[in-house]
Amino acid sequence: MLESRYKYLFLLPGLFTLLAIIIFPLVFTFRLSFSSWDVVAPALDFIGFDNYVRVFHDMRFWESLATLGTVVLSVVSIEYIIGFGLALTLWQDIEKSRFFRVLFIIPMMSTPVIISVVWRTMFHESLGPINDLLAMLNLPTVPWLSKPTSALIAVMIVDVWQWTSFVFILLLAGLLSLPHEPYEAAAMDGANHFQTFWHVTFPMMAPISIGILIIRIIEASKIMETVYVLTSGGPGTSTETSAYYIFIRSLREFQIGYSSAMSIIYLLMMIVALTLIARGLTRVLVGKGG
Amino acid sequence: MERTKMTKMVVTIALAVGLTAGGVARADKWSEKYPIKKDIPGPASYEATSQKDYKGRTLNILTHAIPVMGEPTALHAKQFEELTGAKVKVVHVPFGDLFQKAMIPFQTGQAAYDVMFYASLWIGDFNAYLAPVPQKYVDMPQMQEVTRNYKDVATWEGKMIQFPVDGDRHYLKYRSDVINNPELRAKYKEKTGKELRVPQTWKEYDEIGRFFNDWDWDGDGEKNYGSAEVVARDNLMFSAIISRVAPYAKHPDVKGGFFFDLDTMEPLVNTPGWVEGVKDFVAAQDYMPPGGNNFGLGDEIFSFGGGQTLFSYSWDDAFVQAMEPKSRIRNLVGAAPLPGAHKVWNRKTGKWDNFDKPNYAPYICWGWTSAVAKASKNKDMAFDYLAFFANQANHPSDLLVGRFGVNPFRTTDFDPKFYIKEAGWAPDVAKTYCATLSGMDKSRNRVFDLRVPGVNQYMSSLATGVSKALAKQLTPQKAMDEVAVEWKAITKRLGVDRVRKAYANVVALEDNLK
Amino acid sequence: MRIIIYKGTKYLVLILWSAFVAGPFLWALSTSFKNDAAVVSGATYIPFVDFEPSLEGWRILFSADTEGVNIAGPYISSLIVTVVSSLVSLALGTLAAYGLSRFTFRAGPLGNKDIAFFFISQRIITPVVLAIPYFLLLKTFQLLDTHIGLILIYIAMLLPIVVWVMVDFFNNISTELDEAALVDGCTPLGAFYKIILPECTPGLVVTGLLCFIFAWNDFFFAFTLTFVDTQLLPVSIVALNSSKVPWWSLSSSSLVAIVPLVFLAIWLERYLTRGALLGALK
Repeated sequence: MLESRYKYLFLLPGLFTLLAIIIFPLVFTFRLSFSSWDVVAPALDFIGFDNYVRVFHDMRFWESLATLGTVVLSVVSIEYIIGFGLALTLWQDIEKSRFFRVLFIIPMMSTPVIISVVWRTMFHESLGPINDLLAMLNLPTVPWLSKPTSALIAVMIVDVWQWTSFVFILLLAGLLSLPHEPYEAAAMDGANHFQTFWHVTFPMMAPISIGILIIRIIEASKIMETVYVLTSGGPGTSTETSAYYIFIRSLREFQIGYSSAMSIIYLLMMIVALTLIARGLTRVLVGKGG
Repeated sequence: MERTKMTKMVVTIALAVGLTAGGVARADKWSEKYPIKKDIPGPASYEATSQKDYKGRTLNILTHAIPVMGEPTALHAKQFEELTGAKVKVVHVPFGDLFQKAMIPFQTGQAAYDVMFYASLWIGDFNAYLAPVPQKYVDMPQMQEVTRNYKDVATWEGKMIQFPVDGDRHYLKYRSDVINNPELRAKYKEKTGKELRVPQTWKEYDEIGRFFNDWDWDGDGEKNYGSAEVVARDNLMFSAIISRVAPYAKHPDVKGGFFFDLDTMEPLVNTPGWVEGVKDFVAAQDYMPPGGNNFGLGDEIFSFGGGQTLFSYSWDDAFVQAMEPKSRIRNLVGAAPLPGAHKVWNRKTGKWDNFDKPNYAPYICWGWTSAVAKASKNKDMAFDYLAFFANQANHPSDLLVGRFGVNPFRTTDFDPKFYIKEAGWAPDVAKTYCATLSGMDKSRNRVFDLRVPGVNQYMSSLATGVSKALAKQLTPQKAMDEVAVEWKAITKRLGVDRVRKAYANVVALEDNLK
Repeated sequence: MRIIIYKGTKYLVLILWSAFVAGPFLWALSTSFKNDAAVVSGATYIPFVDFEPSLEGWRILFSADTEGVNIAGPYISSLIVTVVSSLVSLALGTLAAYGLSRFTFRAGPLGNKDIAFFFISQRIITPVVLAIPYFLLLKTFQLLDTHIGLILIYIAMLLPIVVWVMVDFFNNISTELDEAALVDGCTPLGAFYKIILPECTPGLVVTGLLCFIFAWNDFFFAFTLTFVDTQLLPVSIVALNSSKVPWWSLSSSSLVAIVPLVFLAIWLERYLTRGALLGALK
């Protein structure tokens, strides 16, 4: 670490700007969670912990968290594995890989609100191409959005399609930032592709992997528009994620106080979960090899 | 004739012709410039509106996405601008986000929009923020023509606070080329021993829908199915279930509430009448197209309107789609009242009552309405705009453009000749359509929406419960019991008296007390 | 032999994934030329072969009258808001990230890692509950329905990502480079600007791209915090999503919306190269 009396000039402009903008909304949300602001009474009264007690008894909220957990763990793992694989294939051959690199980052550039509708049309079981193509290939058609399991898979497919790009591009940039020496050393030692990867690349990419995984977990947990457009949380409540449930309670039903309490609980749980995950990942990824 | 006399006569005739022509031309000057047949004189006509000078003032309008209601809003806004010199800004929002877009400014005291177009059942939540319609607009001939149903829908506690610009309802739509087809009728008779006809009850709907499911009965090479419905949970499914439940639960002789027992404010959603409707809905999945149990309104429109299914019910859109000029099933559809029921739950006796002649309970379903914000500083302009929007020249012209989403709501709108002549509809289509729609107005056993504060909370809960039943997560009875429990909690939270007071207005309409 | 299997698998993976990535866009392209007739009878693919194409889906995006929307204005609004918020976030964010990477900060029991986590934790909370609080915030400063209001919100949205990602990239560069620069007489800011930043080009490029993407594609805040005067692209496109979902115009708009980002990606991709100085020290 360096030292400098100018160190605050680096950190504080950004930190203060962020705080200035978010401090009021955060505090207000916190305050809202102790009020009964509703569609009929938009007021900041004080009802103590009533909202929080209600959240604890709200089975639908906890079920939505379980659904969310399943979705997030699945998609983030898949995105990481595929993203890393793609990054590894494309970080060294600069010439031929240009086309693929650009192509592979395009999905995450699509507007979620709009591309979800495109995916909805694709999954449409009467008028869409996916089942149509499956039928053409004599494969069984899938009830994409009309049965719980396949609906969940459909939601995951859309997420993987869109956000693998995110993992891919960050890992690619990370790979490109790695120093040359360890590779020269490995080459001299006669290591093959797999050994180089496992003992050189992967350990060096561990810190940035953790950073990427954390951010992907955070972002994936907010999945809302895809669920809204594809399934409305259905069939039943099988694809209802927390963000979607909170959306229904807050902006459809205008139970503002209650949904604020739900988000605060969600926020606290996520912070705890992420801290544990980060620690776990650090032990697993950084602690090995190198 | 003498020359001078002849000349005089010619000149007189010429003058007369010229003056008349000039007079006629002046009456048509608006129809030349604008897409109307001719300007009908009145306090909100083109002529009258052009006399108003709103130069330098701005009107902000919130409306639905283009084209349903959104396009006529923008069109009439542009015309209003040209006629009055005002500047009109229009914002288009998809239905799912419309409530929040209007409510956040309301709740935070921000004056954002002068005029809003929205779903009429939100009157319970919006009424405190709306400006009552001034008497002079209520007295206008164009307003006097509005039918009883739609005047009722616009009224809150005796005052008109919504401005009727459209009229919606749920009704049954069917493929007349199937129901009237001799071969298919023979097939049906052979299999079931019954005559094929427009279903009179939901059970008949089920029977016929099942028969015509999963085979190509219209010869286009694609399979056809029984019924296209709005089933996607947070789309508009809550209205679909009300249509299915209404005849089982709305007893013509039992007053005092359909959603709640008005006296006790006990939810009625888990009573046998309601559960029966939900059971039908769950069973209907057997004769829906692939993916049908996730259909939103848009999918229903494509499905029935594109010729995929035999039946549909819900708003006009699918019918309009089917009647589009290029549609392959144009003039091959018919309209009928929603199916009824032979048994109706009587909650006073706790027993089912049998009805030899099916009980019908038309669902005067919510639709598009407009209103002016109380906080608006341009109320005069706002009401003038709305009156202009719905004036007697614009309205028929809007009726003819299917995609506008403007549907009949005035007494003058139910003449089949209009649709036959102007829209090119086949006579049967026009006749069934007009008869069905005007019949709903005359019914004494109507069901209205739950027009109370917090309606979205009740409807969201209802939709979630029904959705769980549909997904077979729970039995219909258990699902509706859950809904009833949640409804009790909602009522408690919002305040029983507040909800009861509002619901009393709805019950008064349903019980024909007004 | 092993090399052929290895290379073969490589290309197979690339082709398969390319097909998966391109699929929806090709479908959107085809669908953008459809109309009612081409949609209601089942899936159709090739214009002229499977269905009669129509320009409805494209015309409606650039219509001058009331039949559609005109996305030209919203395009520009989005551009302004995106560029400004991205640049500001990048500037402030990379400075903060560098500080967190190089120097030690203490705030009681909290250290650098916690401060970095604080930044990224701002992205956890679901945006929907922030609707009314942000609304009230902007209302107080009369910034509702303005570009500046949105820019401020977006900066708060993007700063966390910039800081979180760039800290990792800075950490990858040994402090020996900074020390060498300082020894040579650079100020810390100079060291940052002249030596370290160029080494981080891949990270910086990617972070910039991410900022642009997140700001350009935001719908929720652009929707909630505006009325009639400010309209960003996603909001103007969604204005076409009526009772009958217009498959064609939403498909065409999905393609139109992505164009500037694709150009940006093509332009920035060339900077994704390995650092020149890395390893120069050892």
